[in-house]
Amino acid sequence: MASEKRDKEEEEVKTDDGSPKIKPRPIVQLGIFLVAHSPVFSVVFSAAGVLALLILPLLAKNTYISENALMPGSARSMLSNRDVSDGSKLVKDIKNYWLNHEGQGVEVQKLIGKYMSDMGAEVYYQKFHPEGNQFHPLHFFSGPDSYTLLDNVSCASYGVNVAGIIRAPRGDGKESIVLVTPYDFINGGDYEALSLGITSTLFSLLARVTWLSKDIIWLVTDSRYGDYRPVAAWLTEYHSPSFKVSDLLKCGELNTADTFRRAGTVAAALVLKVDGRSERFEDTLSIYAEASNGQMPNLDLINVVNYLAVHRQGFYVKVEKVVSLLSSSWLKIIGEIFEAVGKLARTLNPDWNFGIPAADYLEGSATLASSLYSQALGIPTGPHGAFRDYQVDAITLKISPRFPPDSKTRQHDFFLRGARLLEGTIRSVNNLLEKFHQSFFLYLLTSPSKFISVGVYMIAFALLVAPLPMVAASLYIEGCKALTKSTDNPTENLKSWKWLDAAKQVFALHLLGFIVTLLPYFICQVPGQHSPRNRSIMWGTTSSSLLLITFAIIPGCSPFSSRHHGTNWAVLKSVTISAAFIGLCLMSIINFATAEIGALLLVPTCLMAQPIKPALRSRRIKSLLGAFCSMVLLTIGFPVMFFAISKGLFGEAVVGLSLGGEFWTWLESLWAWKSATYLYIGMVHLPCWLLCLCILFHPS
Amino acid sequence: MKFLILVMLLCYSFAFSSGDTTIHTNNWAVLVCTSRFWFNYRHMANTLSLYRTVKRLGIPDERIILMLADDMACNARNEYPAQVFNNENHKLNLYGDNVEVDYRGYEVTVENFLRVLTGRHENAVPRSKRLLSDEGSHILLYMTGHGGDEFLKFQDAEELQSHDLADAVKQMKEKRRFKELMIMVDTCQAATLFNQLQSPGVLAIGSSLKGENSYSHHLDSDVGVSVVDRFTYYTLAFFERLNIYDNASLNSLFRSYDPKLLMSTAYYRTDLYQPHLAEVPVTNFFGSVMETIHTDSVYKAFSSKTSNNKINSEMPVNQLSEHDELQKANIPNDELKTEKQKCPYTQMRVDLHEKLEKFENVDTVVNLGIAVMVFVVMISSSLL
Repeated sequence: MASEKRDKEEEEVKTDDGSPKIKPRPIVQLGIFLVAHSPVFSVVFSAAGVLALLILPLLAKNTYISENALMPGSARSMLSNRDVSDGSKLVKDIKNYWLNHEGQGVEVQKLIGKYMSDMGAEVYYQKFHPEGNQFHPLHFFSGPDSYTLLDNVSCASYGVNVAGIIRAPRGDGKESIVLVTPYDFINGGDYEALSLGITSTLFSLLARVTWLSKDIIWLVTDSRYGDYRPVAAWLTEYHSPSFKVSDLLKCGELNTADTFRRAGTVAAALVLKVDGRSERFEDTLSIYAEASNGQMPNLDLINVVNYLAVHRQGFYVKVEKVVSLLSSSWLKIIGEIFEAVGKLARTLNPDWNFGIPAADYLEGSATLASSLYSQALGIPTGPHGAFRDYQVDAITLKISPRFPPDSKTRQHDFFLRGARLLEGTIRSVNNLLEKFHQSFFLYLLTSPSKFISVGVYMIAFALLVAPLPMVAASLYIEGCKALTKSTDNPTENLKSWKWLDAAKQVFALHLLGFIVTLLPYFICQVPGQHSPRNRSIMWGTTSSSLLLITFAIIPGCSPFSSRHHGTNWAVLKSVTISAAFIGLCLMSIINFATAEIGALLLVPTCLMAQPIKPALRSRRIKSLLGAFCSMVLLTIGFPVMFFAISKGLFGEAVVGLSLGGEFWTWLESLWAWKSATYLYIGMVHLPCWLLCLCILFHPS
Repeated sequence: MKFLILVMLLCYSFAFSSGDTTIHTNNWAVLVCTSRFWFNYRHMANTLSLYRTVKRLGIPDERIILMLADDMACNARNEYPAQVFNNENHKLNLYGDNVEVDYRGYEVTVENFLRVLTGRHENAVPRSKRLLSDEGSHILLYMTGHGGDEFLKFQDAEELQSHDLADAVKQMKEKRRFKELMIMVDTCQAATLFNQLQSPGVLAIGSSLKGENSYSHHLDSDVGVSVVDRFTYYTLAFFERLNIYDNASLNSLFRSYDPKLLMSTAYYRTDLYQPHLAEVPVTNFFGSVMETIHTDSVYKAFSSKTSNNKINSEMPVNQLSEHDELQKANIPNDELKTEKQKCPYTQMRVDLHEKLEKFENVDTVVNLGIAVMVFVVMISSSLL
């Protein structure tokens, strides 16, 4: 009671003063503190963000099977020699066919179809048109069935897929598992035939087992038209049947009208490819998982395959890595530093076990870089990407045998092990009761058995973008003060409207970015054949003229306009940074890897951007250094420049005008695959880069 | 004063009738498998194995409530359609022709389970789905599934808490639904499920202590799943060596659990259970072995007597033959007792028969009889 009274008295005392001193909440105090010391904190946070990215390989956890129902490897393999001999016979028959015939027609498809139906499967053929991905600006994120079947298709070129379905004898027919083997029916490589052999071995077994609860679909795709397109065509037909009879169906000798058959919802899909000879002593299994826009299949699927391949069938499993990083000396030094720190930590406390050997660190970083790059690019790394568009978990398994393709003796063992791996995986997926959901969907791999989950890698990104709002706030306060001093007019002293001029400029440049993003679509509509180089020149000139027009129309925007019209650069920078922050955060939701790499470029550029003129005038070393840094960062930040630099890092030097062509082709591939990275470059990176340029040449 | 004594007597008689002196009338078993999904195959196999065992030991199907939360036998993933095994040797199909499942699939819920225990059913529920026990019943309650600290998961959706179980048991006691209740639970941290029990006459045994996991025994690589849990496996191993006439005690069952083999510590809660475990045969719960009293008259009241049979508290396995002898030795005793209770008419005939048997020369008796008869005839005719 007494204390309450005293509190009241104190309050009264305060209010009696006339100036009420209400103590702000701690979080507000913290915010004010951070904003007041924003230069220091922005350096600290950015450095911590980069460091966090570098130590990610150390934080990688071992993968584990999260879903109880999977139980990989708990069942004995039931493959018999009879099944293997079925597979071998198919391969022999196909090889004999190639010896006696020249490619054309659908004989090989019919041969495979006959084998399938002999095993007891329902067989059908599907014709598809090789034309697929066309850029259309409105089809981003609009779903996979966005292309329409053309009516006036010619029978000149079309592909034929073969599919066989084994119905689960006691299953409910609501779910299915898809096995895909791409095969070039015209040229038919020896290694590709081996993948047919493995799958045929497996199919022969699955046709007679009693434990299937999901139907099995074996799809042999016509890989003449790429790996991806035939799978996508089949999936489109599978999920969205067209009731219009296309002319395509009547082409050729094979009439495929009304024969398309379906099984239930696809629970999982495995794409099997055999190619090249393994460089190692063991057979090598490469796992490809990245689908469009950095989407990954559930980690459990990779875990199951990895577990069975390593512990049961003795494959050497690998995932993609950036080979050039393995020999980089700076990364090695960092690895050694981390190793030393780890050792030191363990001597201090034996429980701190985070240190890993430098070699492991190097491997992990190279794999992580590749994982980040593939996700950031947003282009699927194999035909499994087509499945991800339908929310189906799928991966591509590429097996490289250690023997030449014509070795008969080794082939039997190879078929047995390959088919056992697939059998185990299918039996695990068959055990599933629900969709894959237990394990991670958002992760980066540092090795086939190590991963970094979203909770860990987001820290690096969060640290990297954390300075942006702080700096924006502090600049805004600074800019407002400057404006209040310069103008004495009380009507212009409305604090909250000061940013409007700057916002107008930022909005105009973002609009410009949007238009530039859409330009390629219109350039593609220009009649006549143009080389990528010409198209990029067209694009470049149109974009720059648009930029000039923007500067001319909106006087405040231009860095070359007189000082009187120009906005305060601090406020402009504040709004720019806010826009960059929003753009990066939005992108991190859509595709984390893009946002991470984008933040690495954009955050320093935005933070360092400052007018070059006062720096030159003052002639102090500090400001000159700052100006130089911001110029260098801006040069690197130009998308074309960054593209060239990264090409150079990967060991492909491109110079001159051919660079434009290459850049165009690269962008074309991005939009053809509906990669959100393209949108990011056009609508976040480019406008922010232009705004930083404006700040650099600001006439203050 | 007299009135008071009368009241006291009445009270005493009530207490007496509701207490331990009620005789054992019948045996019931409630066997529950609480988990669904294919990878929990072993829980169904556990329950079906125990079902087979108690049936073999004499509890009839109408006194077994079998609850199975999923149907593994008909699961599409089962390599042996319509069969369930609890061993990888596949010698014994647990899902034979005469398995009566009372509650199956989604019927196995916490609500239905509690309804079965407490006997609060809707009118439409058939008798075969009810636990129609009385105050003289011995009930075995076996549960298996996935559990944790003071709970047992049902159907992957809901859970039975130790409070729920204790409450249901208390209600059963109040409603005189059992004389003795044995709860056997095979889950992780099974011991915690008994924490709240208070009712007398309850004996509880769990597969593991708090913080311990219960593990599966082995994997059947043909079926592709684990087929039996360790605790249940060793329980079954114990019972496989017994038949209905064996008098193995509960103590010997409890001592048969080896923590090394179980990979967990079996836990018994005996503080609510008065009889000495070494004197209670396992068939008190796991079988239906009644003490039979032969009577000639249906009307003559029988009194409750304690059995004279000695309970072998040691492992019975090596001493089966010895034990049989012991039982045989007891038989004459029983006969002597029963003789005294025979009805008068038979008693007279038996006496006559015995006296007849005592005569050594039957022929002389017959001749004498004839002579006496001739003599009597002569006298009577002379009188007339």
